[in-house]
Amino acid sequence: MAQLQCIVVTPESTVLDEQVDFVALPLDDGEIGIAPGHSPMIGRLGFGELRLMVAGTPRRFYVDGGFVQVASNVVSVLTNRAVAVESLDAQVAAELLNQARRRKANGEELLALRDRLERQARAQMRLAAHAH
Amino acid sequence: MELIATARFKKAMDRAHAATAYTRRITQLVADLANSGLEVKHPLLEGRETTKRAVLLVLSANRGLCGGYNSNVQRATFLRLAEMQAQVPEVSLEISGKRGLAAAKFRNIAVAEAYTHFEDKPSFEEVELLANRYLESYIAGNLDRLDVVYMRFESVSRQFVTVETLLPLGNLEGAQPAAGATQSQYEFLPSAESILEEVVPTSFKVKLFKSFLDAAVSEQVARMVAMKAATKSAGDRIQQLSMAYNRARQSQITGEIMEIIGGVEALKN
Repeated sequence: MAQLQCIVVTPESTVLDEQVDFVALPLDDGEIGIAPGHSPMIGRLGFGELRLMVAGTPRRFYVDGGFVQVASNVVSVLTNRAVAVESLDAQVAAELLNQARRRKANGEELLALRDRLERQARAQMRLAAHAH
Repeated sequence: MELIATARFKKAMDRAHAATAYTRRITQLVADLANSGLEVKHPLLEGRETTKRAVLLVLSANRGLCGGYNSNVQRATFLRLAEMQAQVPEVSLEISGKRGLAAAKFRNIAVAEAYTHFEDKPSFEEVELLANRYLESYIAGNLDRLDVVYMRFESVSRQFVTVETLLPLGNLEGAQPAAGATQSQYEFLPSAESILEEVVPTSFKVKLFKSFLDAAVSEQVARMVAMKAATKSAGDRIQQLSMAYNRARQSQITGEIMEIIGGVEALKN
């Protein structure tokens, strides 16, 4: 069966570079699934779960926004942070959410910023809760 | 010390290499966006009409024993600071590294923010916190310009002090569409504009992170070179000293022998 090459890069390191069967990614406005032979695409990532199918077994990562580029069966994910779902901490995420909620948001830009931080914290909490 | 610096330098270098993979891809992404016919425009890219508040961020080392590294950075800093104070009504100085802080204190210059937690392994998470704070105050209008002073790393034998204006960001690398490019093969989700909106702050963060990495690598190189020179000169000094010691010992022995011979001669008579 045709396979995809999936590369996950953060500014600190290359987290993952593997042959996979299928990738599901959290886009800014919903999830996208990418199977081999996908047409070239550049997408903006949201906060959420990156799922990989490697030889029938799923692997899950949390990605912290960024971009995805798909071209000739190579999926490159550029993100600030990519961690395995198992190593997320629900308490840390809850603390993040509290911090985000306490922020002052006077003005449209700051409001947008707060929304964004809240979404980020909620995504981490959601994933941490369903880690296993 | 030389060996330690060498080992640390190698590690710092590896990290810098890992970061270039990311930078390269971001540049490629910007190029793809530009080639799709999108005009690269963003509030962070354009300067303000009047610059009221500016920040000068200085990346120096926490420790000394690294040759001219810290003093070079400091020299550039105070030159630039004077220059900025002449142009901008409100300039605040932010310094990372104890050495830079000590220099500012010595000159009685107020430091707005001090960071000492960036060692030779700056993590993206820590730098991102800083970057987010700058972005936030830039967007909110509390900051109009951000300059960074750091030691840029070119190669093991070449590092130089750089003063860079990171906010406003100016031009993005790869933002000029390639000649003859009319249409991009890519589909943009949700839209090219939305991606651009995200690319620009990301480029800023990566640039800031890169300066931290460069500073860390340069510091280790400087320390390595300084310690190599120190080891060599200590070796030379040992050689000189042991030669002087041997001479002194020999002359003492000779003196004693002369005395004995003199005594024997005196007894003979």
